[in-house]
Formats: sequence, structure tokens, C-alpha cells
Amino acid sequence: MLRQIKKTLDKILETVVIVCMALLVLDVLWEVFTRQVLDNPSKRTEELATFLLMWVALLGAAVALGLGGHLGIDYFVGKISKGKRTFIEIIVFLLIFLFAGYVMFYGGIDLVTSTFMLGQVSPAWQIKMGYVYLAVPVSGFFMVIYSFLGMCERIKSFYNGESS
Amino acid sequence: MEMPIIVLAASFALFLWMNVPVAYAMGISTTLAFLLLGLPAATAVAHNIATGIDSFTLLAIPFFVLSGLLMERGGIARRLIDFANVLVGRFKGGLALVNIMTCMLFGSISGSAAAAVSSIGGFMIPLMNKKGYDRDFNTSVTITAATTGLLIPPSNVMIVYSLATGGMVSIAAMFIAGVFPGILVGVGLMIVSSIISIKHNYGKGEGVEFAGAVKRFFYAIPALLLVVIVIGGILAGWFTATEGSAVAVAWSFILAVFLYREVKISDLPKILLQCGVTTSIVFMLIGTSMAMSWVFAAQNVPQNISEALLGLTNNKIIILLLINIILLIVGCFMDMTPAVLIFTPIFLPIVQGLGVEPLHFGIIMIMNLCIGLCTPPVGTCLFLGCGIGQTTVTNVMRKIIPFYISMIITLLICTYTEGFSMWLPKILKLITD
Repeated sequence: MLRQIKKTLDKILETVVIVCMALLVLDVLWEVFTRQVLDNPSKRTEELATFLLMWVALLGAAVALGLGGHLGIDYFVGKISKGKRTFIEIIVFLLIFLFAGYVMFYGGIDLVTSTFMLGQVSPAWQIKMGYVYLAVPVSGFFMVIYSFLGMCERIKSFYNGESS
Repeated sequence: MEMPIIVLAASFALFLWMNVPVAYAMGISTTLAFLLLGLPAATAVAHNIATGIDSFTLLAIPFFVLSGLLMERGGIARRLIDFANVLVGRFKGGLALVNIMTCMLFGSISGSAAAAVSSIGGFMIPLMNKKGYDRDFNTSVTITAATTGLLIPPSNVMIVYSLATGGMVSIAAMFIAGVFPGILVGVGLMIVSSIISIKHNYGKGEGVEFAGAVKRFFYAIPALLLVVIVIGGILAGWFTATEGSAVAVAWSFILAVFLYREVKISDLPKILLQCGVTTSIVFMLIGTSMAMSWVFAAQNVPQNISEALLGLTNNKIIILLLINIILLIVGCFMDMTPAVLIFTPIFLPIVQGLGVEPLHFGIIMIMNLCIGLCTPPVGTCLFLGCGIGQTTVTNVMRKIIPFYISMIITLLICTYTEGFSMWLPKILKLITD
């Protein structure tokens, strides 16, 4: 069950990151073209690029968490016995869970609502900046799920390890 | 020292020990400090992360990552190895020299040390093992030589430094300032590896006859052209650093897919995803570093450190030496990106007061932190290299010491000889006196 949910989530997030990344490349190449060849640069391409970057970077961070790809230091933990190491890993996922929930999700929603209230609008596209910053709580939401799943997996292997 | 800073530092150290991913460790410690300061922690940290990413300049980072990935898989490393073999292969310990030379060439077109370790080490280490070179020596050569790519442009960490100075130093100037120091590090490593090769009587590389040499040269030209187009274009003002990085993606795409034909169109989604993930890891580090740096500034940490250092002495030579020692220790425990973002605002005002150019200091800092990439407990290149060389950190430690010494000597030479970094940018009028 859990694995099925994770697989579906992975697929959705990965597709969004790939599409945004491809658009990002095309967008900036288009900017170079309009500036060099047409000599008529558009402010819009630059703004679109920063929006896309925001979403790629934040959703990518959730994907990275799902893949276990963030850099950590396994130099010290590698020297501890396996049971203790699993226990520490559970705490690590709990910490990430709390951070993702409190800062990325809760703090992100606060950021988005206050930006909406200020009525901040992007200069070129006239998009409400709240929509751009929405990437923070959305990423936080996925991070909460991934860290929770990671925690469940470790807890399971912790108990299996004890009994066998 | 204030309570929030003590909590921040202690919890950060604990989290690192527990193997919490570095970006999260910084984020959580910073959040704790914000809470102790009685500030709205969640919103403040989220705001710092969002605004930290929201920048057109930083856009060059994912693009240089992407072009690096395309080159890594596109067989470009192998053409460069062939080319370097023509130049330095025939000397004693030739394969070690080829390895270092290729890392420098690869660095000049990709700007990622990790990409150099995996794509050059993956080919060179097994080859050198087969020719009777010591495995741990081969791994040490690759690990240390790969860092030259961060000094030879383009280089993502230079973009981060430019950001950390608040635009005081332009990306183009940083790129050019890194050329000579990068070459100097490479030459230093070559000298060390030659001495060791002679001592252990390692073999010569294969000699290449003239016709073969010409052919290899022509195969490598399209790859080497990249640096001419991108750096030349940025210098000539044809495009900004960000646009140049997009051009680098387009060029390496053409090479990898159409010319060398080692990447298929169906491989692209995977490469784009990997780029997205690598980018996000860097940007999470940037966002949380900025939040942490904000706490330091609010607690007057830069002023306190500055007073402490200048209280000892105001001799420029000794202060630079002390800063170098602090950064070497920091580099052992911290990844490059957060180290640059956190320590630039602390050290730059001090050295500027002593008359050191921000551009020169940027090069010193990056050279210094490059050594940290090769040292335990946090050394991206070291761990990656040990994985690829199929050896352990403990084994490599015995062979890598001479290379550390060479890097430290080069660092000190460049620290006290401003000309190495400043001469070329001055000639190209990238900085005004």
C-alpha cells in the first residue's frame, strides 16, 4: 500500500520537474535568441525563468528527499551498530518531518497568504506573487509525506531487526 | 556569546553527527535560533528559502549542472583523455599526468568537481590500476585534480560567491580570476605525482604517432570549443552568465546527441530529472544558508569575530593566514556552498579593511574550500572517488597527504601573490583600479 502511494507520488513529481526543467532551458535559449537575433528582448522570458526555477528547485527538493539524495555525513553514524543506526535514522526522519511540516508547509502557507494580502504582482506577467511562492508549501506537503513514509519504513525494519 | 548562537551551533553539530542532510540540519538549527529570538520562525525561514531561490543570476547553476551531465554521459571525457594523452602521456607516470590534465580540461568545460571525479575517474582509475599504478595513488590523483574544475571557469561556486558579496564582484571577473590559480593547482599536483611516479618507477604512457595525434586533436576540438564560446561570449558581452550557461547546454546537447552520439533522445527525461534533483539540493543549501547567515548578522557575529581577529593583530599577512586556517577547518566539516554563503559576510569586511580585493579573496576562499572537498568527514570528492576507485577512505588517506601539501602550498602562494588572480581580470578590464 505505502509503496504504491509512494510510486504514484514519485511519478507525478518527477514528471513535473522534468517538464519544468525542459521549459526552463527552452525559455532561456529563446531569450538569448530574441536578444541576439531579433534584438528585441522580452522581460517576460526572464521572469518566467525565475518562476520555473522556483518550482523546479522546491519540488526537486521533495523528489531528492524521496530518493534519499540530500547530502549528509555518514562518517560517524557508519561506525555505530546497526540497531542504533536505525534508531538514529528514525529520529532524523522525525526531525525532517517536523521541519517540513512547520517551516515549509505551515510557514509557506503563511508566506503565501501574506503575499496575497499585500497584493504583490510580478512586473512583466502581472501574476500574483502568491502563486509563485505557492511552491514552498506544496513542496513542504510532499516532504511531510516522504519523511513520514521514510520514518514508517525505518520503524518497521527496527522492529523486524529486534525480533529476528 | 548569545544563547541563540550557542543553541544554533550545538544543535547543528549534533544534527551533522546524526547524518541529517546538511540543508535540513541548517534549516532546523536556524529555526530553533529564530524561536529563541522570539521571532515568527516558520515564516521567516520559509521567506528566506523562497527569496534565496528567486534570482535570475542563480539560474546559471542548473544550466551548468545540466551541461555537465550531458558531457559526463556524452563521451566528452574520453575525447579529452585522448587529447591529454597526446600532450603529456609520454612522460614517466604519464597516466597520472593525463588524469590531472583531463580534469583541468574537463573543469574548463563543465565546472563541477563531482562530474569530473565520476566521468574521468571511472575511466582512468581502472586503466591506471591495470598498468600497475597503485590504486590508492590513482584515486588520490583523481580526487584532488577534480577540484581544479571549480577554479577554472565556468564554476557554480563562483556564482554563489558573487551572490554572497551582493554583486560587489561580477561573475565574469570571478571566472577569469580563477584561470591562473586553477592551472597552478594542477601544475602542483602534476609535480607531486611525477615525483611519486619516479620513486615507484611507474611506467610511461603510450606514445602517439603524429597521424593519431592529429586525429585525436580534431576529435577534442568541438568539446574544447565550448569554453571558447561560453567564456568568450560572456567576456565579449554577447550574453550574461545565465544566458551563457544556456548556450553551454545547447552546445553540449548537440555534441552528446548528434556529434558523438552517446546520448539518446530517450535518455533526456532522466538527465533532466537528475539535473532538477541536483539543482534542488544546491538551492535548499542556498536558502537555508541565507537564513542562518541572517541569524548571525542579527546577533552581530561578524562584528564579534572581526573584533576578536583584529584584537590579535592587524597584520594583513597573519590575518589572512588565520582566516585560511579557519576556512580549512570549516571546509572539513561543511559543504562548499553553505561555507561560502555564511563566511563571506563574516570575513570579507575584515580583509577589505586591510586592503584585500573582494575578487582576490573570493579566489582564496574557493581554493581553500576545494581542499575541504578532499578531506573527511565531509568531502564530496573524497567519498565519490573512493566509491569509484573501489577503495576506502582509510587506505586513500595514506597516499593523499602529499597532494594535500601541494594544494596548501599553492593556496599560500596565491594568497600572498595577488597577481595570480588579479592580473588577467585587470588586463581584460573586468575590474577598475
